[in-house]
Amino acid sequence: MKQLKYIMVLLLAIGISSCEDDFLEPAPTGAVSSSTFYSNEEELESGIINMYDGIQGINDTRADSNHAIQVEFYVTEMRSDNTRTKSSEGEAAQFESFNIETTNGLVADYYRSFYNVIFRSNIVLQNLDVASDQNRGRFEGEAKFVRAYAYFNLVRLFGDVPLVDRVIKPSETEIQFTRIPTATVYELIVSDLESAVANLDNTYKNRASRAAAQTLLAKVYLTQGTNYNQAQQLLEAVMSSGFSLESNFKDVFYTELNDEIIFSIGFLPDVNDDSQNFSAEWLNAVGRTSGVNYVTTEARAALDALGGDRTQFSYRQDVIQPSQFQVAKYLPNGDDDLGIAATSNDPTLAGNDWIVLRYADVLLMHVEAIMAGAQETSVQAALNSFQLIRNRAGLTDIVTNITKQELLDERRVELAFENHRFFDLVRFNVAQDVLSAFSDANGLGYSATDLLLPIPQVERGLSNGLLTQNPGY
Amino acid sequence: MINYIKIKKSINTIVLLVSVFVLSIFTTACDYEFELPEAGSIADETPPVANFTASQNEVDFLKYNFSNLSTSATTFAWDFGDGNSSTELDGENTYSAEGTYTVSLTASDALGVTSTFSEDITIVEPDEPDVPDPILINSVFDKLPKSSGSDCSCSAWINKSIGDQGESSSGNGGSDNVVKLDNNEPDHLYQEFEVVPNSDYTIEIVTSFKNSENGSFPSMLELRVLAGVGYTSGYTPTYYTDTVDFPQDDFGYASISQVEDAANNLLVETQDNPNDDGYITYTYTFNAGANDSVALFIRGIGGPATGGGGGDFGYNSGDEEIRVDTVTITAIN
Repeated sequence: MKQLKYIMVLLLAIGISSCEDDFLEPAPTGAVSSSTFYSNEEELESGIINMYDGIQGINDTRADSNHAIQVEFYVTEMRSDNTRTKSSEGEAAQFESFNIETTNGLVADYYRSFYNVIFRSNIVLQNLDVASDQNRGRFEGEAKFVRAYAYFNLVRLFGDVPLVDRVIKPSETEIQFTRIPTATVYELIVSDLESAVANLDNTYKNRASRAAAQTLLAKVYLTQGTNYNQAQQLLEAVMSSGFSLESNFKDVFYTELNDEIIFSIGFLPDVNDDSQNFSAEWLNAVGRTSGVNYVTTEARAALDALGGDRTQFSYRQDVIQPSQFQVAKYLPNGDDDLGIAATSNDPTLAGNDWIVLRYADVLLMHVEAIMAGAQETSVQAALNSFQLIRNRAGLTDIVTNITKQELLDERRVELAFENHRFFDLVRFNVAQDVLSAFSDANGLGYSATDLLLPIPQVERGLSNGLLTQNPGY
Repeated sequence: MINYIKIKKSINTIVLLVSVFVLSIFTTACDYEFELPEAGSIADETPPVANFTASQNEVDFLKYNFSNLSTSATTFAWDFGDGNSSTELDGENTYSAEGTYTVSLTASDALGVTSTFSEDITIVEPDEPDVPDPILINSVFDKLPKSSGSDCSCSAWINKSIGDQGESSSGNGGSDNVVKLDNNEPDHLYQEFEVVPNSDYTIEIVTSFKNSENGSFPSMLELRVLAGVGYTSGYTPTYYTDTVDFPQDDFGYASISQVEDAANNLLVETQDNPNDDGYITYTYTFNAGANDSVALFIRGIGGPATGGGGGDFGYNSGDEEIRVDTVTITAIN
């Protein structure tokens, strides 16, 4: 009988444990497990700030922290022909070689971080009723802008993604793990941005604004390849909202909140909670890595040929390893030769803001909207916008016609290392040609399926088979 | 000993029965959700599935890139449908001519299992169509029916929110064939039409001024092209083809302040009295900018802002009548 008891207990234990809902720990981060309520407007406003904290990410080197915008260059610029690791070491080198594993921790970090940002904006949206009538629209606009911004990045990087448009419970695994077609995700992005345009003004640069929402919505339309006319109208609205190009290209990056900035993620120097470490990672063994986001031969050639005055403030020689070249934007510890002061005492606690949207991007998108999918344009309004960008770079020859290739090249040198290049290649429908040629020339492993990142294996594990993988992984 | 064995057997039987019972409870409760595969089974649960997408090259329309989206496959055979083939992961082919081609991808795994996916692509040289000429209704100002009121040369050209309607008149060798903007009245013409954004257009307008009264208020004809972005919020234009369908009030531009907002004007031109009462052709050009719809607005000005012989819109024509015979807008290609 003793045997019987043991067997019964054993079987029961197996039966009970295997019948639980949640098989895997840890609990998902994209859903709420305790109540998240705000009782007054002040708390709600702290919830707004909390969204931007989410985008900032945490400045540490732990693998399980959400580093958000601080690791974005890995999944964007380092997957383009602009940058690579210095020494082809570690999982960071998977990006430049187009051999990204489903277990890549940086991909998982970005994915997790931006779903967490979405979660934070959904909390604000759920608690809008505590806001005063006067401020409710503003809060709604900010939360929807941030949510749209996060989804726009996710959908461009991962393709179909789960669509969480409210605070969900851990038990709502269907919503958390069912991938929704990109077209449906874009519907939410567009409606969120329309709401942001209607509700916001241009008070802030480190927070959402009407101009930021207009610019982002225009970029969404250009990415979809539809509504070129609406994109142009939105961009022209931004162009009459008081922004202007900095006359000196350096000042764009080293004078924070300047006239060219439309939306940037703010960081403060030497404060652990509000600083960033990506600037240090781009240097030679100053951060945790031996050096990442180093400039490729191809990007240097493009900048040397087309950059004009921008080139010296875009990349520089690595003084420690002169055969290598570093990004000169966002330097944390300054550069005497370039007349750039340090932004912090400790380069790994850097204060350089990350620019998400700036006026030069608006002007070049204006050209793109007028081109409207054609191969060239000579419409005067487009020439005017293009000329402003060229003039600032000291390239004052009069432009009479702009081809799509010239526009792509101009974007490359104007916005180099600002995480635009990969998205531009895809949006201009040349990613396959450019990246396969780049890959062949450098012996890398590019194939067409590398245009989407893998869904992180850890998320798929949590999903109990619901979350599907992208082709090629 | 025998008893002992028997007891042991019966205990074993009980254990077995209870175990089966408990097992059956727990298995039914869990609906076999996490059932283990049969012992020894090594079925190929991931056979290859061939799939690809095709994209036309931006510059060379005959060149195609094929993105391989196959799963669980290691080798690939492309048949591009024109006799060319490849065993690369991603396909790339330049065709020799326009036409429809069936592209096939056969994906195989290491077990020799294959899957084939085919898709037809139709290659047509992309044409760059000319920008069409805009369509204006009643552009020769014939006396035609309106949605309400009597027939008028001004049919299809009325927006009572921003002026009084023009009047039927005769001239330039015809009858009831021109529209008249009266002296000292806020008469106007207004019509919306579809344009291609950022395209250039030519406007030709044939007008005649009565000889100058040489007074303090010489008439001028003002012509504006108004941006569609300036339409009343939420308004989407309808392009009617029959003059009886045109609305006459509360649409598009709803106030003179909207009309006079510089940001809404793509073109503003003014004709002075040429002191020649013949019909003279004037030509202007404009660019549509970020608009897929614009409105042409024409009015007589030069008179006192108030006290004219019509509605109060803040403007009036001057001392002389002005007639408009035709207006023609063509795209510049």
